[in-house]
Amino acid sequence: MASKDLVLESAEDRNLRFERDALVFMDPLYAAALRYTKNPEDARDLVQDTYLKAFNSFHQFEEGTNLRAWLYRVLTTTFINSYRKNQRRPQLAAGELEDWQIAAAQTHTSDLGKSAETEALENLPDSDIKRALHEIPEEFRMAVYLADVEGFSYKEIAEIVNVPAGTVMSRLHRGRKLLREKLTDYAKELGYSTEPKKGEKP
Amino acid sequence: MSYIEEIPCIEVLSAVVFIVEGVKEDTRNPAAIESHLNSCPNCRAEVEHEQAMHILMQDVLRRSCDEKAPDDLHRSIHEELLRQVSGAGVTEVVTQISMTEISIEIDEFGNVEHREIQIEQTQVQRFTDDKE
Repeated sequence: MASKDLVLESAEDRNLRFERDALVFMDPLYAAALRYTKNPEDARDLVQDTYLKAFNSFHQFEEGTNLRAWLYRVLTTTFINSYRKNQRRPQLAAGELEDWQIAAAQTHTSDLGKSAETEALENLPDSDIKRALHEIPEEFRMAVYLADVEGFSYKEIAEIVNVPAGTVMSRLHRGRKLLREKLTDYAKELGYSTEPKKGEKP
Repeated sequence: MSYIEEIPCIEVLSAVVFIVEGVKEDTRNPAAIESHLNSCPNCRAEVEHEQAMHILMQDVLRRSCDEKAPDDLHRSIHEELLRQVSGAGVTEVVTQISMTEISIEIDEFGNVEHREIQIEQTQVQRFTDDKE
């Protein structure tokens, strides 16, 4: 008479399942937390809080769906709710989509020296890459990080960050553009030229 | 026959982020973009450059952002989870059901047969406090 569905998973079993399936993502979650919070102490706390929240709502997680994406969602929500209270930023206006699409179309990189841009990026030290990421606004940083480092699709990011998919695309576009501009500036400081070399034969 | 709309460069360039993401199909007019790219070397070059830059940026970002969680964080999370399981902040509800089925049969010769069946069931539910 004991239907299997009625038997609740024991706390010990749930703990084992959680440790086996969820804790393997601790390193990437920590790296993401470092990008979100920008400092190791807060990143530690954020990861710990994330795992506790995730553990306590693990029964809500549907087995077979994407556990990694779910953990990033818990991480992101926890960060937004508790870790950024002292960093208020103006919200983006509605209608940003059209604005950015027009801006996107007006950006032609052809006059920037394409091979020079590539070379400068390749030679920048890791510390500059992280500095540039930390300097771009939070919502852009999260979108770019989740897409380009973690490889989430823009629709998955929309779920993780809880914004419409179109907004994610806009943030990806603007975030990547800002990041490249910053990196190009650093490269210039380091003496890499991103201008086409004068006197070079075409 | 199918008609493919002609679109200006500006519309193709505004869709570059979709192309780079590999989701050109999510744009308003993917067929028109494809057709435009086939006939416009400038836009094609732009898209190719953006794709190359995208791959490069991904490489650079992944290379830079690969920090490992400190060992003591692994330990501390593991211990905290154990604490959660072993009691602190956990409400345990134990439901015990006990039933005794008694049957007495008396046959025509007056023999009495007395049977007792004991059914016991224990269900333990644990509720972990949400720290909302």
